[in-house]
Amino acid sequence: MGAEIRDKVVSEVSKVVVGREKETELILTCLLAKGHVLLEGVPGVSKTLVANAFSKCLGLQFRRVQFTPDILPLDIIGGFIFNLKDREFEFRKGPVFTNILLADEINRAPPKVQSALLESMQEFQATVEGHTEKLPSPFMVIATQNPMEFEGVYPLPEGQLDRFMVKVSFDYPSREVEANILKRNLSSMDPNDVRTVVTAAELDAVMREVDDVTVSDDILEYLARMAEATRKEGSLVLGASPRAMVQLLHCSRAKALLDGRRYVTPNDIKTIASEVLTHRLTVDRAAALKGVSRNPEAILTAILDRVEPPR
Amino acid sequence: MVSNELVLGALLALNAVLYASFGFAALRQRRRKVEPSNLMEAFNGLELALKEAVPDLPSGFTWEEALAHLRSSGVKTEAMEDALKSYEACRYGGAPLPDMDYREVVNVANILGRTTPGKRGGGASIGR
Repeated sequence: MGAEIRDKVVSEVSKVVVGREKETELILTCLLAKGHVLLEGVPGVSKTLVANAFSKCLGLQFRRVQFTPDILPLDIIGGFIFNLKDREFEFRKGPVFTNILLADEINRAPPKVQSALLESMQEFQATVEGHTEKLPSPFMVIATQNPMEFEGVYPLPEGQLDRFMVKVSFDYPSREVEANILKRNLSSMDPNDVRTVVTAAELDAVMREVDDVTVSDDILEYLARMAEATRKEGSLVLGASPRAMVQLLHCSRAKALLDGRRYVTPNDIKTIASEVLTHRLTVDRAAALKGVSRNPEAILTAILDRVEPPR
Repeated sequence: MVSNELVLGALLALNAVLYASFGFAALRQRRRKVEPSNLMEAFNGLELALKEAVPDLPSGFTWEEALAHLRSSGVKTEAMEDALKSYEACRYGGAPLPDMDYREVVNVANILGRTTPGKRGGGASIGR
């Protein structure tokens, strides 16, 4: 069932977005693993379009918040409004009360607003002035951000980054894909053409199946050794946190299910480790000055090549 | 009466025969075919053969990466892929050990056993 759903979703999103199959699959993996995803790329590489089409083909409620420097936490979570008719305060839900929240350009908002999402992302609930409300299920934040080199951005703090299960990089398309995009845009391409291909019940069933995917003790041991290796790596100041490893575990289970298996293999972990761990690793600047790679992905690849998986 | 030269010659010849037979036995031992009794042992043998024949393969390699390496070296891996699925279901998924044909795994291990480690970047030269 997992593989079938993956094929349906990827095929449907491909109707309006060209060449983003891998990215779509990663977002689906993350949703099944009950995680949140950070899409990073320069403007105009279809981040928002992918998020929009993805939520449409799953038939989930979707809301978009454009993060700007003057946005307030109230604009996301909601707040108490005085009802003149009833003469009492009532809670008005903000856009966070949805299934998929697109936090567009999240790093354009100040840290106070970015932090407003922490509780929702971690505990799937929102609290305003002591009043706590559960969020709908499933709930997923798809945030987009432009690379840090751009002006007027507030880099996400480590604690916030750690809440994102995966970071998906949207690179420029290849020449062939670019030509295909241009060709497809000769005729009008409407994102509303995306149909709902997976029902809420089907999605719920698959999400529950993820919990039944077997993870052997050897695989858990492999994950623990991997975590230890990132923490002992000299060129990193900050290695993978226990939360990061738990999320890698959940993500690997979802990936295994989407590949039609009921057990996790070392390859599942190694394949997805870069997307789950890279954004949480902090490179030691002093080591970087000594000529060690500043690229956390390259450092992680070297670590993964060293840690022996169970065979 | 036998001359000393004749004795020396005979001893030298005997020595040569003995060393040749030792060398031959060592070579046979090296090329001895792996004879596992089940799928698990077949993959264990393949792992050892891979480590010996492809020193460039990082110690963190997964089976899929190993198969990709073999494919790039010209080894046909289709039959092995089915065996790998069953092996992984048993190894990581707790499925019972399947009673299946694992000759292809053994064949590849034996091919690797006959290869010499390649130079850095080139990997082992594997031929069928």
